[in-house]
Amino acid sequence: MKKNYTLSTNIYRLLIYIVLAVILVITIVPVWLMIANATRSTIEIQQGISMLPSKYLISNYKILLSKGLDLPRGFFNSFIISSLTTIVAVYFSMLTAYGIVVYDFKGKKVLYNFILVLVMIPMQLSIIGFYQYMVKIGLDDSYAALILPSIASAGSVFFAKQYLESIMLHELIDAGRIDGASELGIFHRIMFPIAVPGAFTLGIFAFVAAWNNFFNAFILITSRDKYTLPMLVQTLRGDVYRHEYGAIYLGLAASVVPIIIIYFLFSRYIVNGISLGAVKE
Amino acid sequence: MASKVRKNYYGYFFVAPFIIGFLIFGLYPVYNTIALSFTDTTLMKAHGSFIGLRNFERLFADSTFLTAIKNTWALWLMNFIPQIGIALLLSVWFTSTRLKIKGGGFWRMFFYLPNLMMPSAIAALFFSLFSFYGPVNQFLVRADLLPQAIDFIRSPSVMRGLVVFIQWWMWFGQTTILLMAGMTSISVAVYEAATIDGASMWQMFKYITLPLIKPVMIYVLVTSLVGGMQMFDIPFLLTDGRGSPANSILTNNILMYMKFRSSQGHIGAASSVGVVVFIMTTFVALLIFYLLREKPVEKYKEIKQ
Repeated sequence: MKKNYTLSTNIYRLLIYIVLAVILVITIVPVWLMIANATRSTIEIQQGISMLPSKYLISNYKILLSKGLDLPRGFFNSFIISSLTTIVAVYFSMLTAYGIVVYDFKGKKVLYNFILVLVMIPMQLSIIGFYQYMVKIGLDDSYAALILPSIASAGSVFFAKQYLESIMLHELIDAGRIDGASELGIFHRIMFPIAVPGAFTLGIFAFVAAWNNFFNAFILITSRDKYTLPMLVQTLRGDVYRHEYGAIYLGLAASVVPIIIIYFLFSRYIVNGISLGAVKE
Repeated sequence: MASKVRKNYYGYFFVAPFIIGFLIFGLYPVYNTIALSFTDTTLMKAHGSFIGLRNFERLFADSTFLTAIKNTWALWLMNFIPQIGIALLLSVWFTSTRLKIKGGGFWRMFFYLPNLMMPSAIAALFFSLFSFYGPVNQFLVRADLLPQAIDFIRSPSVMRGLVVFIQWWMWFGQTTILLMAGMTSISVAVYEAATIDGASMWQMFKYITLPLIKPVMIYVLVTSLVGGMQMFDIPFLLTDGRGSPANSILTNNILMYMKFRSSQGHIGAASSVGVVVFIMTTFVALLIFYLLREKPVEKYKEIKQ
C-alpha cells in the first residue's frame, strides 16, 4: 500500500514537471526568438527559424539608424523619464506612508482607506481631461506631465506602508527626537536608511512601469525628439521597415533587454516585492 | 510616548504632498474629463459649448462603442479565467508539502519574466512572429502542418485569441506569485489537522485553501479587471491601431484614442468614452470588493465544515 502511494505520487510529480517545462518553453521561446533574430540578417530570418544567434547585430543596428530611428535618443529619453519618475514616486510614497504609520492624526484612517480605493480606480481613463489641462498650463509635450503625477501613486504608498510597518522601530524615532532631530530629519536620516531595501524594491517597480508606459506618453508627447522607447517601437511597425526584419527585432530587443538584465540582477527583490504589496488586508 | 502625542499634527505635513499631487494630477483631470464630456470641444477650438448629454446619446447609439465594450469584457474574461486557473494549479503545486516540487524559485522567476516586458514591444513582436512571412507560418508550413501560409493578421478569431494569449502570458506568473504568498501564509497545522481527519487533497483545497486565500483572490480579480478595462497597448499595436480585423480587437481605450486623434480631435466625445468606462469599471470593481468582502462569521463556518 505504502509503495503504491509513493508510485502514484511520483507519476503525478513527473507529470507536473512536464507541465512546468512546457510552460517554461512557452514563456521563453518568444523572447529568445526576438533576441536571436536581432542578431540575424533579414535573409537568414526569411530562410528559417533558428534559436542560435548570428553575427549581424552591428549591421542590423546600422540599418535601424539609417532608416531614421534614433534608438540612442529614445533610450536616453526613456532613461531620464524613468529615473526621475522612480525618484519622485519612491520619495513621496515613503514620505506619505511614513506620515500614516508614525503619526496619529485626525482623518488618517479615512485617508488610508481612500488610498486603498484609489488602487481600484482606473485613473488612466481620465487621460483626455489630463491632456487638455496640460495643454492649458503649457505642460503638454513635456516630461513634467509624465513625471509629476507619480507624486501621488496610490499603489506605491500602499506598498510603502506595508513595508514601513514591518520594519518600524518607534524607539529609534524617540531617540532621534531626544537628540533634537527635526521630524523630517528623522525621516531622512534615521528611517530612510533603514528602509532602503523596501525603497529599492519599490523603485524597481516604478522604474519598470515608467519604462514600459506607452499610452500616457503617446497621448502627451508630440515632438519626435522627445519620443520614448515604446513610442519608437510603435514606429517600427511603419512601412519604412517593411522588409528589414533583423532591424525590427533589434529595435524590439533593445527596448526589452535592459529590463531583463535588471530582472535577473534583482529578481529576489522583485519576486518578494510583488506579494508584499497585496497580501495583507 | 508623550513626545509622540505632541508631534502628531506633523502627520499632515508628511501626507500633504500626496494630497496636493492627487488633487492636481488625479482629481482635477477626472473632473475635467467629466466636464469635457458634456461639451463639443475639439482640439481645433479650445472652448466648446455645452451640449448636455448629446455625446452620451451618440455613444450609446453607436454600435462601434457597444462592440468595444463587449470586446473589452470578452478579451478580459477569456484571459482571466485561464490565468487564475493555471495560477491556482501552479501555486498549489509549488506550495504542496507533499509534492515537494523542486526549483520553485527558478520556475517562478521565469514565469514572471513576461510581466516586466514592454507591452508595446511584445505586441510588435507577436505581430512579427505571426505575420505572413513570419516564423510561425514558416514553422507550420515546413513541418507540413499547413499546406500554405495563413494570413493570421487578417483573421478576427486568431487575433482575438492572440490578444488573450499575450495577456495570459504576461500575467499568469504574477498571479501565481500572489496566490502562493496567500497560500504560504496559511498555517501548516491546519493542513496537518485536516490530514489526520482523513481529508483528501481536493477537500483541503476546497475547504481550507480557497476560503483562506479569498482576500488575495479579490485583490487579483479587482486589479486585473481595472487593468483589463483599460487594455490598450497589446490590441493597439498588434494590428493597425483600429482594432482590425473587423473591429475584433477594438477595446474601450482604442476607441477613446481614435476619437481623440480623429481629424478634428473630438476630445469632448473622447472624454465621454472615458467617463462611461470609468463609471462602469469603478462600479463593478467596488461591487466585487463589497460583495466578496471578508465576513468573519462566514469564514469560521466554512473552515468548520
